[in-house]
Amino acid sequence: MIEVKNITKSFGDLTVLKNFTVNFKEEGVTVILGPSGTGKSTLLRCINGLENIDSGDILVDGLSVNDKKNLRHIRLNCGMVFQQTVLFPHLDVMHNMTVSPIKLLKLSKKEAEERAEFYLNKVGLISKKKSRHNELSGGEQQRIAIARALMMNPKALLLDEVTSALDPEMSSEVLNILEKLAADGVCMLAVTHEMSFAKKVASRILFLDKGSLVCDEPVERFFRETRNENERISRFLNFIGE
Amino acid sequence: MYTLSFDFLRQYYPMLLQGAGVTLLLTVCSLALGFLLGIIVAIMRRSSSKIFRAIGAVWVEVLRNTPFLVQLFFFYYGLPELGINTNPILTGIIALSVNISAANCEVIRSGLMAVKNGYYECAYALGYSKFQTLRYFILPISLRIAFRPLTNNFINLVLNSSATFSITIVELMGSAKIISAYTSRPFEIYIIILVGYCIFTFVLSFISKYVDKRIAINL
Amino acid sequence: MQAFEKYRSLRLLDSLQFLRGIGVTLEVTLLSIAIGTFIGIILGIIRCSKNKAVSSLPLIYIEPLRNSPLVTQLFLVYYGIPMITNWMPSAFTCAVLTLSLNTGAFFAVLVNNSIKAIPQGQWEAGYALGHGKTSVFIHFIVPQAFRLLIPQAVTLYIGQLQCSSYVALISLIDLTKTGETISLRTMMPFVCWGIVFALYFIISFPLSKLAQYLEKKNEFAY
Repeated sequence: MIEVKNITKSFGDLTVLKNFTVNFKEEGVTVILGPSGTGKSTLLRCINGLENIDSGDILVDGLSVNDKKNLRHIRLNCGMVFQQTVLFPHLDVMHNMTVSPIKLLKLSKKEAEERAEFYLNKVGLISKKKSRHNELSGGEQQRIAIARALMMNPKALLLDEVTSALDPEMSSEVLNILEKLAADGVCMLAVTHEMSFAKKVASRILFLDKGSLVCDEPVERFFRETRNENERISRFLNFIGE
Repeated sequence: MYTLSFDFLRQYYPMLLQGAGVTLLLTVCSLALGFLLGIIVAIMRRSSSKIFRAIGAVWVEVLRNTPFLVQLFFFYYGLPELGINTNPILTGIIALSVNISAANCEVIRSGLMAVKNGYYECAYALGYSKFQTLRYFILPISLRIAFRPLTNNFINLVLNSSATFSITIVELMGSAKIISAYTSRPFEIYIIILVGYCIFTFVLSFISKYVDKRIAINL
Repeated sequence: MQAFEKYRSLRLLDSLQFLRGIGVTLEVTLLSIAIGTFIGIILGIIRCSKNKAVSSLPLIYIEPLRNSPLVTQLFLVYYGIPMITNWMPSAFTCAVLTLSLNTGAFFAVLVNNSIKAIPQGQWEAGYALGHGKTSVFIHFIVPQAFRLLIPQAVTLYIGQLQCSSYVALISLIDLTKTGETISLRTMMPFVCWGIVFALYFIISFPLSKLAQYLEKKNEFAY
């Protein structure tokens, strides 16, 4: 569903992604690992059209991100959740969830609210539907942000280090939700440093280093064999204590 | 069709320069005085005494909520009635500094508030007295934070000083008015001093940006 | 005693004059902040354009007005325009015209700053949900920027109310000019200027408290 074809992306002199190619199907959870600053987040942002790519092409559902006209369709199909929680502070939780389906998917207010309640139940925050962002903890905000992305019925969720700004207790709260969604069959593409999450939920692991793909393997093989075969990966995993 | 002509400048430019000199005198004196007043009022507003705080608050609120021109006339016509006779320039300086002190106070006060309690405690723990702490640590830090907004206040002071021609001071605006009466070329002369003020404030804000970069600290 | 009697007999008429002065001051101020706000919103939004050439265009208008004294601007319009054109605007027209242009320049900067103060993440969150640029701007950025803008706008309006006193210098009979006239006639400058002082204060103090309150209330912690 997502085809990344030979893309290059640099910020000034710094090349973040170099001739990068990868494909994602519309199934399962793919976890993207790698040291900081190796272009993992940039990859997700490029897929969502938040960054312009210098060369190459990304096709989502056969539509290229290079054509600005496709961006809307692409973004509706790829929900994205960021590291820093971004709820709209002028709206309460319910409106945060419903404004986009009403405006973009032309849902009626009632339909949108029903759908919002469904997803709020899913993330366990139905009691907070009238709250504002400053009355919610970081973990709760992030769960709302996930629910808000699901409101658009995306084919895939792009998760950009959604737990790294949270303390351990809150991040396990968020990870539990993600686990539940994965069990429901939501397709996810997650950049994360949470190895236990990767082991438990992921079906496929990508390992990036210095802007290129080091390995792309099923999760079992990655943690059993590749980590011993590839020195770079084993160093990384040892370093983060796995 | 009206044709612009700036020929009169050749004859009258010394007058403009003199006016600019008076403007400079007014603003520099008021800058110093207004800065001092600002610090005093800011410290009063942060003091533990209720009376000092109240005086400071009234000072700021009254000055911020009344027009400079009215303050100027109040000093110019009112002071003699109280038996205080001054010359216009001194009145102008007093009015300008009092006016700017309110804005300065607010800026310095928020600078003071930006300095966290930890700095006070640290200085006290090292054995500094309350005054020494203020003098050696708190004020230097807060004034650096307040530097940029203070220069903005100074630019406002320069712009406000143009109103002092109304109490017979012949500063830049005053000299322009006289020249306009002599030459009947108001458009040209006012355009010239408008540009002059612009250049002056641009230079000021350029310098202030440069200095601010040099002294900036991030708390 | 005689002097006192004279003053007392003038009091009713004077208070009417003061009222008329307030009327003129408010009329000039309200008209010019309405027009100025309109100018400011348009220029402020242009200032936010990604295209450098477009976004710096309004600076040609904004910077000279922000960096020169209002008095000079007033004199330029009041004495200058009749010289170079055939149009002879009244003092009132000149006052409103100048103050509107002046307010517009300051308001444009407020609008621009408020929009820029919204974190980039808010834009991206909107894009990621599938909204286009205009849709993000209208649904997410404008409502937030608006709340930031309101208290600053009130503060600017108070400032412009006070700046409106400069119109007295082009002999428009506003509150300040009324004060001057009456103080010269009654020879009681202290009292008269005190009254003018108090009147301006009574109008603008509640507004400035309102601005402070709104600023606290509308603050977002992102």
